[in-house]
Amino acid sequence: MAAPPPPAHWSHFEQEQARDVRALVQQVTGLGEEEPGGRFQAALSFTSSNFRFHRFLDVSSHKVERTVEGIYEKLIIHSELGKAVSWKRLTEKFLNLPLPNTEKTKTDAHYAILSLLLCLSDSPSNTNYVEKPREKEVEKEEEFNWGKYLMEGEEIYFGPDMNSPDWSEDSEEEEDTQPLSREDSGIQVDRTPQEEQDQNKKMVPNVTWKVGEPDARSWLEQHVAPQYWTGRAPRFSHSLHLHSNLAAVWEQHLYSSDPLYMPEERTLVTETHVIRETLWLLSGVKKLFIFQLNEGKVTVRNDIIVTHLTHNCLRSVLEQIAAYGQVVFRLQKFIDEVMGHSSENLTHGALSTPKKATGAPFRTYQAFMWSLYKYFISFKEELTEIEKSIINKDKTITLSIVIDKLLPRLAQLKVLHKVFSTGVAEVPPDTPNVLRASHLLNTLYKAILEYDSVGEASEQTVSLLFSLWVETVRPYLQTVDEWIVHGNLFDPAKEFIIQRNKNVPVNHRDFWYATYTLYSVSEKTENEEKMSDNASASSGSDQAPSSRQHTMVSFLKPVLKQIIMAGKSMQLLKNLQCKDGSPQQTASRDAERKSLYTLFLESVQSRLRHGEESVSDIITEQQATKQSLIKMQSIAERHLELDVVHDPLLAINFARLYLEQSDFHEKFTGGDVCVDRSSESVTCQTFELTLRSCLYPHIDKQYLECCGNLMQTLKKDYRLVEYLQAMRNFFLLEAGDTMYDFYTSIFDKIREKETWQNVSFLNVQLQEAVGQRYPEDSSRLSISFESVDTAKKKLPVHTLDGLTLSYKVPWPVDIVISLECQKIYNQVFLLLLQIKWAKYSLDVLRFDELVSAAEKPQLKEGPLLQQERVPQFGPHTELIKQQIHRMFLLRVKLMHFVNSLHNYIMTRILHSTGLEFQHQVEEAKDLDQLIKIHYRYLSTIHDRCLLREKVSFVKEAIMKVLNLVLMFTERWQAGLGAWKMESIEKMESDFKNCHMFLVTVLNKAVCRGSFPHLESLAVSLMAGMEQS
Amino acid sequence: MEPEVLFEISRILNTGLDMETLSICVRLCEQGINPEALSSVIKELRKATEALKFFYFIFEVWEPELSTIYKAAENMTS
Repeated sequence: MAAPPPPAHWSHFEQEQARDVRALVQQVTGLGEEEPGGRFQAALSFTSSNFRFHRFLDVSSHKVERTVEGIYEKLIIHSELGKAVSWKRLTEKFLNLPLPNTEKTKTDAHYAILSLLLCLSDSPSNTNYVEKPREKEVEKEEEFNWGKYLMEGEEIYFGPDMNSPDWSEDSEEEEDTQPLSREDSGIQVDRTPQEEQDQNKKMVPNVTWKVGEPDARSWLEQHVAPQYWTGRAPRFSHSLHLHSNLAAVWEQHLYSSDPLYMPEERTLVTETHVIRETLWLLSGVKKLFIFQLNEGKVTVRNDIIVTHLTHNCLRSVLEQIAAYGQVVFRLQKFIDEVMGHSSENLTHGALSTPKKATGAPFRTYQAFMWSLYKYFISFKEELTEIEKSIINKDKTITLSIVIDKLLPRLAQLKVLHKVFSTGVAEVPPDTPNVLRASHLLNTLYKAILEYDSVGEASEQTVSLLFSLWVETVRPYLQTVDEWIVHGNLFDPAKEFIIQRNKNVPVNHRDFWYATYTLYSVSEKTENEEKMSDNASASSGSDQAPSSRQHTMVSFLKPVLKQIIMAGKSMQLLKNLQCKDGSPQQTASRDAERKSLYTLFLESVQSRLRHGEESVSDIITEQQATKQSLIKMQSIAERHLELDVVHDPLLAINFARLYLEQSDFHEKFTGGDVCVDRSSESVTCQTFELTLRSCLYPHIDKQYLECCGNLMQTLKKDYRLVEYLQAMRNFFLLEAGDTMYDFYTSIFDKIREKETWQNVSFLNVQLQEAVGQRYPEDSSRLSISFESVDTAKKKLPVHTLDGLTLSYKVPWPVDIVISLECQKIYNQVFLLLLQIKWAKYSLDVLRFDELVSAAEKPQLKEGPLLQQERVPQFGPHTELIKQQIHRMFLLRVKLMHFVNSLHNYIMTRILHSTGLEFQHQVEEAKDLDQLIKIHYRYLSTIHDRCLLREKVSFVKEAIMKVLNLVLMFTERWQAGLGAWKMESIEKMESDFKNCHMFLVTVLNKAVCRGSFPHLESLAVSLMAGMEQS
Repeated sequence: MEPEVLFEISRILNTGLDMETLSICVRLCEQGINPEALSSVIKELRKATEALKFFYFIFEVWEPELSTIYKAAENMTS
């Protein structure tokens, strides 16, 4: 049904209005004009009457503008910046555009329309609105024919047959040409592809799109980030709010305040770009836009800017990041270098000898690299997490948030770089591997101790460094393990602090001393290792200067001795066992064995886990700690009061200090309070303790085991103790009967004034004596004689000088009983021989010898000189008797002296020292200790036999007496005729003097208490003194 | 004048007007219709339409169905 025609008297304007009202009602209600029940008409009349008769005021442009401004503010407050900006722009644009039937801008009609929309608005802040900016631009180009659209109605009206179906048909046609659907989004979605396609063609005509579909292309356009790195400033909308335009405002300010200011061309980037580049930089990406890498230095690009920060501010923030970026690059470079090398070696170095790769990183560096690498993997994971959250846009992420989040990591990077630069980078290029490795380990160790002492503040750093150290130390511990368990020092890159001297075979006498060179000797251990160092120096090592640089691997210092001992022992042991031949057993045992490093790791883990467990009941633990602290405090206070000091603060600090030493309680309270030991196991501040409890025990255990084995083998299979006994038997004359046979034969010869220096005679005598009781030793023993300078020989006591006993000690016992030892043994042997000789010569004197010798000349001369002699007879016999008596007395005195000396040496010195020595030998833990015990034993007997240079005057006196004894016996044998009274008197006075001197000296020494063993000698000599 | 501009404004304000209605409103405003009156009319008409739809549902759809249910119930009881 056609619409009723408007009344004829209506003006054109009214007719138009009526038509629009109808259209409106139709549009809003959806009713047709032929709607039954007159609903349409009712609605129409309602509308018309409302338009005509209303009580609303005319539109006020001010009011509308205020409302528009208000909505803008509201959107800003609601942080809908995009919407706010669009709103502002659109309203301004609308007001400045003409309306279809109004030429001017900002007319009442404009405001009326805005007012209408405002009245109809329904909570604009709650809706999702996305502006499609491109659409508008295209709209311009496309020129929507708004006039035609409106004019169509006019034509219908002027036509003779104006009715609504026609109009509606037209509108349908329009819908065909113009896809204006009722759904708002439909309008945009349908159009965008074409528009963007056009745009693309305009912007980048050279690019050929393989994706033919416009949808895909537009999708790409929308989702691919604009290439900010190409330098062209991309257009992106951002808020007009003051805060987000700080850069521009500041630029403006500079421009206005400084007449010479020249604004520079800068690339605008967003904060997200900056954040992502930061993340990439830290994860080791080298080619970036904002950060640039020039010759290993990371710099910040100068011409970038973000809208909300001033240029300088951004730059200062980014420069900090760049510094960390550089650290990352430096470490990454190291990792690449080490890794690159090893892979090269693997690929084409498999067949080549390991020596070829001298420049190649050795195992310690590789291990360090590996630990760094692992650290970076976790670091990169963290960075990726952040980047993911940026991509997801779930959370607000700003540059400062990112930096804040990474702060602990950055601190760690700083520490890593510090360690790296001191431990690796600053080492001069020609440094040998051993120095490099030990320097790196030392640096790590020192860093741990340094941070450890700071306490809880750097717990994280300590744990990081500790993990690095644990990784880095792995090759070292493996080397140690290999050495102390298998006995071979496998170190192809020569990085271990101890090196094997190749030119000394194991089964050599010098093996124990000269086989290994300890490279880095620190001052403290220098004395301890002097022996081995000297020995190694003698083997021509050119490493002597390097050993003066104090770069000992500190963590091994407390157990270095054990390691060396264990290593050498093991190697020796292996060599000994090789001869025995039982490799299968050891191999099967070896399969079950855990390596030193594994044991160490397990111990550390269990220790740390122990710490973790204690965290669970940390409250009780804290309470316990507190209680014990209070107890300690009171104890400490009491102790301080003893010293008349009263200072509670001092007491507390003492208590804290001693709390860490768990044995404090035992020390101070007699052990009736149990200390909470678990508190000390929290990893902090206990790095050295950790080592002490986790690493050293294993080394110690292995040390005890293999040194014990070696000792056992030496004692059991190689009869070390028997050889030591043999030395004492023959050199120290402990096998008294055997040696008596030997030396008396010599003494007899001397007494008979026959030649005894003949080597064959000496050896025959020796073999005869020894062969009876010690047949196995007789083949090893030999004796030689060297003539000494004749000046000394004039004295009879030195007749024996030059006699040298030698005993062929088989390997490996000759490590202990060396030639040097035999020299000392020989010195003592000679002294003993001298004493024995003196004693023997005195012992064999017979009284009748002297008497018969005295009477002989009288009998001979008797008949001839009888008459002359008779008057003299009485006094002469008196004189002779007196003389003989004096001789007897002197002899007894001398005997007493010699016997005292003999007793002293044989029992007090040799026997008792020997017993001590035997005891110590049984307890010796390692070979080195045994050698030292032996040396100490030798030097003790050497000292106590007064052979030392320092007490040579005592020995001199004794020698004089012995000499006297020998002269005395000679004269005695020669008979009384050879005597003159004066000579007897001289002998007596000489002896007396010597005796006196010795007694005085010995008494003094005994009184001082410095030589307690001399007491018996002093006493016995004193007893022999004449009471006058 | 770009109708898109006004339409965008309308979208921001969440007025619920479509393009066609908006263009009619523009014409009416230009003809001097008071915008507040116009807005109140549109709101009233919307309300009425909603109500109409409701009544239509009650009387045209729901009630006939109800009556058939009643009848079926009566048949069953009888």
